[in-house]
Amino acid sequence: MDFLTTYIVLAEIYVLLGLSTNLLVGIVGIFSVSQAAVFGVGAYLTAFLLMHTALPFPVAVLLAAALCVGLNILVTLPSLRVSGDYFVVTSFGIQLLATAVFTNWTGGTGGANGLPGVPAPMILGHEFLEPTEFIALTTIGMGLGCLCFWLMMRAPFGALLRAIREDELAVAALGKSVLGAKVSAAALAGAFAGSAGGLYATFLSFVDPSSFDLDASIFLLTMVVVGGARTLAGSVLGPFVLLALPQILALIDIPTSIAAAARQLIYGLLLIVFMLFRPQGLLGEKL
Amino acid sequence: MLWLNLLLNGLVWGCALGMVAVSFSLIFATTRFFHVAHAAVYGLGGYVAWSALKHGLPEWAALLVGIVACGAVGALIQKLLYERLDRSGATHLVILIASLGLSAVIQNSLAAVYTSNVLQYGLPWGNRTTVIGGALLTNTQMLTVGFGILSYLGAMWFAHRTVLGKRMRAVASNPFLAEITRLQPRQVHIAVMAIGSALVCIPGVLVPLDLGLQPFGGVPILLTATIAVIAGGVGSISGAFVLALVIAVLQNLSLLVMPGEWSIGITFGIFVIFMLFRPRGLFTG
Repeated sequence: MDFLTTYIVLAEIYVLLGLSTNLLVGIVGIFSVSQAAVFGVGAYLTAFLLMHTALPFPVAVLLAAALCVGLNILVTLPSLRVSGDYFVVTSFGIQLLATAVFTNWTGGTGGANGLPGVPAPMILGHEFLEPTEFIALTTIGMGLGCLCFWLMMRAPFGALLRAIREDELAVAALGKSVLGAKVSAAALAGAFAGSAGGLYATFLSFVDPSSFDLDASIFLLTMVVVGGARTLAGSVLGPFVLLALPQILALIDIPTSIAAAARQLIYGLLLIVFMLFRPQGLLGEKL
Repeated sequence: MLWLNLLLNGLVWGCALGMVAVSFSLIFATTRFFHVAHAAVYGLGGYVAWSALKHGLPEWAALLVGIVACGAVGALIQKLLYERLDRSGATHLVILIASLGLSAVIQNSLAAVYTSNVLQYGLPWGNRTTVIGGALLTNTQMLTVGFGILSYLGAMWFAHRTVLGKRMRAVASNPFLAEITRLQPRQVHIAVMAIGSALVCIPGVLVPLDLGLQPFGGVPILLTATIAVIAGGVGSISGAFVLALVIAVLQNLSLLVMPGEWSIGITFGIFVIFMLFRPRGLFTG
């Protein structure tokens, strides 16, 4: 039972990350492979604030989300100047830079050992220790995220973002601000990733660089691709399917030494197979 | 004379990086999409050569086996994956995601077969040193410089003097015109992928000769090389090679003022700033 609850809590956190990635990659068409870096900054900042200051949990998460808004705008900015494939290199670079900081800045992030002992969230005197309690927090978080995403897709703003993806020049010619729209989308994606980071750090009570590396970014991308890009349903389905995968793998007898590699290998295969035969994913629209 | 040593190391490292940059430049300029899996092919080459060596082949034959294997894998990737996607009208984003997936598949297969621990070639001659003009160089370093210069000259000769090279540049500059003048861009793409992938096997073997093999070692190297390709101006082989030398020397000299684990971060930091102000590269108009 606890096992199932943990799975749901993690999947709900990843839904927020899926929304963040889907918004940038699927809807606006900014190919970002550095969402795990932003996620990591959110997690580390929340952990740091809760361990070293007396700030209450909601304030810490809000601060982390606010920082990630700024950060995500900053890392997405180059996409305004350079297009497509060039931005990918920049984005890869940002991810590698972030991993270097997480691993080497021992003073702030605990280096490769990470930060253990992040206190459990406390709201109005109630401490959320057990997964069965924590699930309330992540469900609210995921619900808010999905609501934002749904409202945004229905609003004229959502249509504007999709139009930018199809033809940036035409949108600019209509007198719409491409810059403003992209910056707002990046801000929203940053808020999703940052608050997911806060929930993640407090749920596991531990953060280390391996959760936020390039593989993690590729995992986020796989979630969006498998679930289905450009739709809310896809972003919700993807994490639940992909997080169930390691559990299924655990049933097959694979030596533990290659289990991690086998998992990444399957994510890679999924990416290829879906791109070849079903680019729209399970519940998405054609990429 | 620390700085002189660093300068030399930088030049040697630059030759290795230059080979990766030249190979990637050939592919990127022609096919026009970001072939991330090139990093995995780089890693594959080293492991194939390692296996060949452990099966008793002499060094030169092991390198040759690696080169042929990488060339074949490159051609297969283009034929079975990229061309298929391209025919179905896939966008660059779709091809890129598939390439990323392929990269994960190859690298993790290597990790599953050879474990993700560092593997050494165990060739004692690689570390023997010679003094040339007051500087100490290992055999591996001299080989790297030699192969680097040869690869650069070879790529220049190939692109400008051979029929296939000219076809390649024609396809790169105008795919549509190349199609209607029956230069058969799809065949050119396969050939270029084979040549680029074969070429990247050389640094893929020479760099681990010093540092040891790791399944995921290719990604930072490919990205640094890509910076050289973009900064040098896409399509310019000389630009890619020269910029690779410059970046490698700067990375090494930066060790004078800061610890080594930050150098990749600084490189990408500078690149991001560079992209904001001069996105078309140094050597183009």
